[in-house]
Amino acid sequence: MATLTTIGGASAVRGSPSARRRFRPGKLPMWWVIPPALYLIVFFIFPLFDNALRSIHPAGAAAQWSLAYYVKLLSDAYYLNVIGQTLLLSVGVTAICIVLGYPAAYFLVRHSGRWAGLVIFLLIAPQLTSIIMRTFGWRVLFARLGLVNTALLDLGLIDKPLPLLQGPSSVVIGLVHVFVPFMVLSIASVLQGIDRRLEESARILGASKLQAFLRVTLPLSLDGIGTGSILVFMLTNGSFVTLLLLGGGSVVTMPVLIYQQFSLTQDIGLASAMGNLLLAIAVGCLYLQLRLIKRRGVRA
Amino acid sequence: MLVFFGFILAPIAVAVIVSFDTKSFPGFPISGFTLRWYWRVWEYKPFIDSLVVSIELALGSAALACLIAMPGALALARSRSWSSDVISTFLLAPLSMPMIVLGLAFLYYLAALGFGISFLSLLISHTVISIPYIARTVAGVYRGLGPDYEEAASILGADRLRTFWYVTLPLVRPGIFAGSMFATLISFDNLPLSYFFGSATTNTLPVVMLSYLEYQFDPSVAAVSTIQMLLALLALLVVDRVYGLRHMSAPT
Repeated sequence: MATLTTIGGASAVRGSPSARRRFRPGKLPMWWVIPPALYLIVFFIFPLFDNALRSIHPAGAAAQWSLAYYVKLLSDAYYLNVIGQTLLLSVGVTAICIVLGYPAAYFLVRHSGRWAGLVIFLLIAPQLTSIIMRTFGWRVLFARLGLVNTALLDLGLIDKPLPLLQGPSSVVIGLVHVFVPFMVLSIASVLQGIDRRLEESARILGASKLQAFLRVTLPLSLDGIGTGSILVFMLTNGSFVTLLLLGGGSVVTMPVLIYQQFSLTQDIGLASAMGNLLLAIAVGCLYLQLRLIKRRGVRA
Repeated sequence: MLVFFGFILAPIAVAVIVSFDTKSFPGFPISGFTLRWYWRVWEYKPFIDSLVVSIELALGSAALACLIAMPGALALARSRSWSSDVISTFLLAPLSMPMIVLGLAFLYYLAALGFGISFLSLLISHTVISIPYIARTVAGVYRGLGPDYEEAASILGADRLRTFWYVTLPLVRPGIFAGSMFATLISFDNLPLSYFFGSATTNTLPVVMLSYLEYQFDPSVAAVSTIQMLLALLALLVVDRVYGLRHMSAPT
């Protein structure tokens, strides 16, 4: 759904050889891309460029060109730990999203029938609510006396309430909750394109249901898993509201650190450098995604 | 599967229910039913002020993004060259950037340009992230139509301007609506960008909610969020109504 797609079109425009028609109806002049392109260059590329500059040439009396911030980031154990936590968290959330999302996607494509529209609505609707609202809801659920703890206590699985909000588990669950719809929709869109007859043929030739799935459907849907994973990975990398409100500071990722640098220590150069690192990872993911789309040969 | 959807809907349902709780400390299940938190939302000036700012900003940035992005989206939708691929990727790029980095960059850049912490800065930044949504939906709709309508119009004698105004634009209206809706909602809920431009007059609702949560943990936030959700649903319904009617009268 939110994957990077090219918006070039595939319709053939019938041009007229007649000289009477001076313009090709249905095809608009290319200079029309100037407004958005220009706007983005001035207000998107330039700020990022400016940000990059600031990280190697911070403003100030003793300003000089140096990679000091990057050196600090990549050599100091604390910062390396933060970077590591960011990546680890992203990988973890992505993995869980795959495990949860694939069955849901499979259900959506194969078994939902007339409920498909409703299912999709239920997946997308939470995106319409404020992220703060959703995180708030989790906070209530995970509190010491919250529903989750009281349920676990009642079931006898634990003796005393788990401090869920103080640890990374609430963060992971919160993030999975936000991003699993993206994964489901990515996988579902690929699953939909897989011909059911391939599975059926495998079954006819003697494979069990599981074998047919593992050897036919799953490999064919890997692209969907791939696109979804890159997307969720990228989104988790950049997420910071969930991390602020859940987990009580136990998980510090790059966005959180940037936020702290900005609001507490005002070390803007460092924040910019960290931001650029994050940006570099995002661009890397974008590149991977493009390669994946090109490989699929789909322009949609 | 039901468990899955229960999981998806749980925190939202909880938040809505908690907004009616009589206890000041949010807990679930709730002990009583009251509307007092909704009163509190009305009384707490920053909530209402920021709600207004958020709405103005969301609508404004969506409108601005429409104006800017639409020409480009329409031009790119029917084009197949390598350069148009590059440009369209470029137009969609802001979607994938981590917004906190954008926010930080915008703050200093716009300050250097003299815009400072103002509604205009907010507007500029939110428009940047709205452009991809509008571009994507408008291009999608336009690409899905054939050039038949415009060709028919030109055969019947319309010049370029009339064709565009009376044929092309009305046909892509669904795309504009859908894109604007996405853009408005994204802008409304945006925190990473708006956070950097916070001040008494330029706080948006999510920013106020965040700082509220840092000091107090009571159901007012749940109440505000529920109001926000209802507004979003209302907007959805309205667009559905309007678009629904349009769809019926469009020459398809």
